[in-house]
Amino acid sequence: MNIFKGQRIALASLFENNAQADRFQVGLSISGNKEAIDFACFGLDSQQKLSDDAYMTFFNQPKMPCGAVELSTPTGDTLGFSCQLAKLPTKIDKLVFTAAIDGSTSMGQIKDGYLRFLIGNQEVARFAFSSVDFQDEKAVMLGELYRKDGAWRFSAICQGFNGGMAALVKHFGGEVAEETPLPVSTKLSLENKLASAPKLINLAKKATVSLEKYQLQETVARVGLVLDASGSMMNQYRTGKVQEVIERLLPLAVHFDDDGELDVWAFSSNVLALPAATLNNYADFINTTEGGWRNWGMMSINNEPKVIKQVIELYQKTLLPVLVIFISDGGVSRNKEIKDLLTGAACLPIFWQFVGIGGRNYGVLEQLDTMAGRVVDNCGFFALDDLNSISEQELYDRLLSEFPLWLKAAKNKHIL
Amino acid sequence: MAISLSKGGNVNLSKEAPGLNKIIVGLGWDARATDGTAFDLDASAFLVKLDGKVRSDSDFCFYNNKVAGDGSVQHQGDNLTGAGEGDDEVVKVELSKIPSDLDKVVFSVTINDAEARRQSFGQVSHAYMRIVNEEGGAEIARYDLSEDASTETAMIFGEIYRVGTDWKFKAVGQGFAGGLGPLATSFGVNV
Repeated sequence: MNIFKGQRIALASLFENNAQADRFQVGLSISGNKEAIDFACFGLDSQQKLSDDAYMTFFNQPKMPCGAVELSTPTGDTLGFSCQLAKLPTKIDKLVFTAAIDGSTSMGQIKDGYLRFLIGNQEVARFAFSSVDFQDEKAVMLGELYRKDGAWRFSAICQGFNGGMAALVKHFGGEVAEETPLPVSTKLSLENKLASAPKLINLAKKATVSLEKYQLQETVARVGLVLDASGSMMNQYRTGKVQEVIERLLPLAVHFDDDGELDVWAFSSNVLALPAATLNNYADFINTTEGGWRNWGMMSINNEPKVIKQVIELYQKTLLPVLVIFISDGGVSRNKEIKDLLTGAACLPIFWQFVGIGGRNYGVLEQLDTMAGRVVDNCGFFALDDLNSISEQELYDRLLSEFPLWLKAAKNKHIL
Repeated sequence: MAISLSKGGNVNLSKEAPGLNKIIVGLGWDARATDGTAFDLDASAFLVKLDGKVRSDSDFCFYNNKVAGDGSVQHQGDNLTGAGEGDDEVVKVELSKIPSDLDKVVFSVTINDAEARRQSFGQVSHAYMRIVNEEGGAEIARYDLSEDASTETAMIFGEIYRVGTDWKFKAVGQGFAGGLGPLATSFGVNV
């Protein structure tokens, strides 16, 4: 079935042979655009306002709290949503599917696109549009599902705003900070979140500066830390350097992760998945967790592939992006295995930030940035003589500089 | 309390407001909040005989012929009078002045240049037609078209018609292919 611009139609009439379709997909696609396009689904209240930011679904927030709408891209589409309208709270009156184009171009410069409905991967209806439907709009409402007299209807809108996402969010009653392409979040400031951890509070400002610099204030992600615990690291553990790593990284986990948890692995020839570091247990984490580092059964040779496999296993099905910070003191020898694993993992929502500390012979880790054969560059590497050799501010800057580039690339390749 | 009609519904205006003579027909819609090509909507009224045709072109009331039907129907253009506050276009009708050989006044709204601008009524939000008693300013009946508007570029919103000595209002909400020209032709106007 074809739907035309301006048309209003009962949703049930699209699902003729599946009148009871309680789950369907909305697939979105636009082609011919020179710059990236962000799709989103806004859940509005009866006043046509986004009264709850949690009901905006997009790459950075892939699911509504009720589960009624979640990111799920049908084959062949740029992005899509899986919808179960029965799960929507009654306060949500309308779902608006939007597209916003980046940079200097506008919707008038695309080639064409569509919004389609699918049931079980079978297309049941399509609303096609093209550049002639637009002028200089940079953010548009493509179509909307809305409640009317107890039933859902669809309206093909194709109207929008030259002012881009900011104007669109304003239209939905949201407030947008200057230069911020997304609605003001309900996230507490990092400083507030760290209030219960006085030891970390002085790190909040420094981390926030870096997060703002790389426009990561609104990013939600899981954060993992992999600690080299091979024999050559013994002195770093003994002198408290590794504990310092935990303390410096925890604020990032608190910022990115909804749970505020930092997943931690230690590895040597074996792998030990430690309990997550949190604001409650971070103090003296290294010396107290699982009986303290001396009792972890580590301090032998280093087997990176083994721990990489475990990390992949934990995160491969997550919908959120993952930032893995991997600490190594070098002596890396299993180059081919590491290379193969990370190449294979390029299609997963995981970014690997390797940090060399006080070592040498980082082997393949040093070439990861330029390693060919991957969908996206999913690795970063930098080396420090010592954790204390750079300021905390610089550390955050270096840890966070490549992650946003990957976020963007991964989004473009639909990994996220 | 005004009567709210659905598509196809009708109401006897003379019974709702005994002694009714002068009415204000208000047509409205939400100004678009979005950018892109502007909408240009025009309201028109056709005074037709029992056979559904005008007597002559002078019974076609629109922006270029603001007084029609021997002075019984007056297009106010943009609402500058303050009467019918909030309406986008206002047409005044004096029922007793409508010539006896005319049976019906049909009110339509067309989107100017809709095809080239790729616009349709589905993109116009909260379109309505309402009948107000000019004496006292009370709203008698209202028809909200929003859900009845879709891909049409010209629409008949509603009509008032004679039933014996009474006047009734019917919510029509019917689309019409083409713009104002073909619509006028269908009512027997030479354009």
